[in-house]
Amino acid sequence: MIEVRGLTKTYGAVRAVDDLTFDVRPGAVTGFLGPNGAGKSTTMRMVLGLDRPTSGSALVGGRPFPRLGEPLRAAGALLDAQAVHPGRSGRDHLRVAARTQGLPLRRVDEVIEQVGLGPAARRRVKGYSLGMRQRLGIAGALLGDPAVLLFDEPMNGLDLDGVRWVRRLVRDLAGEGRTVLLSSHLMSEMEQTADHLVIIGRGRLIADAPIAEVMRGGHARRRVRVRTPATDDLAGALLRRRLGVHPTDDGDLLVEGATAETVGDVALEVGAAVHGLAEEHSSLEQVYLDLTGDSVQYRVGDAPELVQR
Amino acid sequence: MTATTARVGDPGTPTVLARAAGAEWLRLRTVRTSWWCLLAATVTVVGIGVVMAFDAENVTATGELPPAPAAGEFGIMLGQFALLVLVLLAVTQEYASGAITPTLQWTPRRGVLLAARLGVPVAAATAAGVLLALVADIAAWFIADLPFSPGEVAGSLGRIAAVLAAGGVLAVGVGLLLRSTAGALATVFLLQLVLPFLLPAFGVEWMADLGELLPGTGAIWTLLGEPDMTALQAGALLVGWAAAALAAGGWSLLRRDAG
Ligand SMILES: Nc1ncnc2c1ncn2[C@@H]1O[C@H](COP(=O)(O)OP(=O)(O)OP(=O)(O)O)[C@@H](O)[C@H]1O
Ligand SMILES: [Mg+2]
Repeated sequence: MIEVRGLTKTYGAVRAVDDLTFDVRPGAVTGFLGPNGAGKSTTMRMVLGLDRPTSGSALVGGRPFPRLGEPLRAAGALLDAQAVHPGRSGRDHLRVAARTQGLPLRRVDEVIEQVGLGPAARRRVKGYSLGMRQRLGIAGALLGDPAVLLFDEPMNGLDLDGVRWVRRLVRDLAGEGRTVLLSSHLMSEMEQTADHLVIIGRGRLIADAPIAEVMRGGHARRRVRVRTPATDDLAGALLRRRLGVHPTDDGDLLVEGATAETVGDVALEVGAAVHGLAEEHSSLEQVYLDLTGDSVQYRVGDAPELVQR
Repeated sequence: MTATTARVGDPGTPTVLARAAGAEWLRLRTVRTSWWCLLAATVTVVGIGVVMAFDAENVTATGELPPAPAAGEFGIMLGQFALLVLVLLAVTQEYASGAITPTLQWTPRRGVLLAARLGVPVAAATAAGVLLALVADIAAWFIADLPFSPGEVAGSLGRIAAVLAAGGVLAVGVGLLLRSTAGALATVFLLQLVLPFLLPAFGVEWMADLGELLPGTGAIWTLLGEPDMTALQAGALLVGWAAAALAAGGWSLLRRDAG
């Protein structure tokens, strides 16, 4: 269990994380989603006590992580696979970790086996590929057999086999009753891995819901694509009816939560010629882009109804 | 593997500190740089000591033979830098590689990490330096037949230990504060060696006075008995600078973001 309460981090004028509150529950994979720079890594670093929150707090297994004497037994994390001393062998890196927790050397060899690092573990990290470094980092996270696991974009840079391996691993870990928080900026990655989603954008919470609910939300929010030469007139009229309107790159308008009838009627009222009208169902990917996208110019407060527990 | 359910009580601070210190020792032993630094220190300390022993008549102005501990003291005067580099890299390499992130995940109690990171590398470098100086003294005794009295040697080794411990703490503090190998190395070299020798060489009074405030001047006095100052002054320089560097570096580790 991870409990995040009002977590905030500012760097000068930038609010990297802005009053985040959410729980990560055991027995499920929670996807932590957000575009680049949304504040995912900063949040995870604050949960682990690496960065100091400007305000707010986080508990891991009911306790502040920075006070733990045997932290790896409470939570394991892979934040940055590159952050390892290049001159030490993978096995020695893990030996150091085991020493800090009072874990036996046997445990080091077990996790090396588990992640499939094999004989490479005795070579210096300097010569490791990114995939091998990810495996080493995951081995370090698993070392203390922790109840909570945090992975920051663990699939980045992995080949297809590697991605499948990580996916199966996190599913298994959640299946064993552990709490798993897995960050990514790709919704498609989450569709196949996560049970629950915490979505953030520009440091703020956008959605905290089971993945099925987010998906249903997407389908319920039907939308209509309309093509008209009188773009501004029609967009203005639709906004006055509190409908979300997004312009597309090819000059169409996407109207959220409306039916073709409504849009056709509004177009008739303002005398806008309609050259094309079609209902669309947004994919999960699309819902995510809509929720977090910077490109949204016209916007009616649409996201908050997804924030529910 | 099964998910851990109940949390057994956390180990006490002594246990956590002992484990962190053990890990620190393992860190030192498992990178090649440590061994290269140790090799460099051995060659410098013992090498200079032996060379000095061969040339013993010319070391003192009177032509009188210096006592054997002079070999170790001359050797350490230069050889200390290999040992300070060892200590400093133990700190700054983690910031360069990002390894400070996993380190703080394993030892999130930063006061504990500070104690281990200060204690283990400094103690290791000090012990290595004292041992090397002893080897140099014995070599000088055998090779050049320099006078060797156990009491004098013990006193000399004690002074060497003080210089190395103070220099080591300075290096750790500066490393933790600056977090950059190049910056910290340059700072420690300037404070400990370059400026103390360079500033008086200009023959300008205020520069010489300034030089007498540097930690390296205290180290030089403790090892070689120059320039003119009291033991209290030299001791104050060693302890004062080490304490100031430790305060600044400690603040950096305890209060700032990980890195
Ligand atoms: N040390 C720092 N100093 C200043 N700004 C920072 C620092 N660390 C992060 N930021 C800023 O905070 C914001 C959030 O960054 P963060 O790395 O947490 O995002 P992220 O969601 O992990 O992104 P990505 O998907 O690219 O990894 C960004 O705007 C980033 O520029
Ligand atoms: Mg990130």
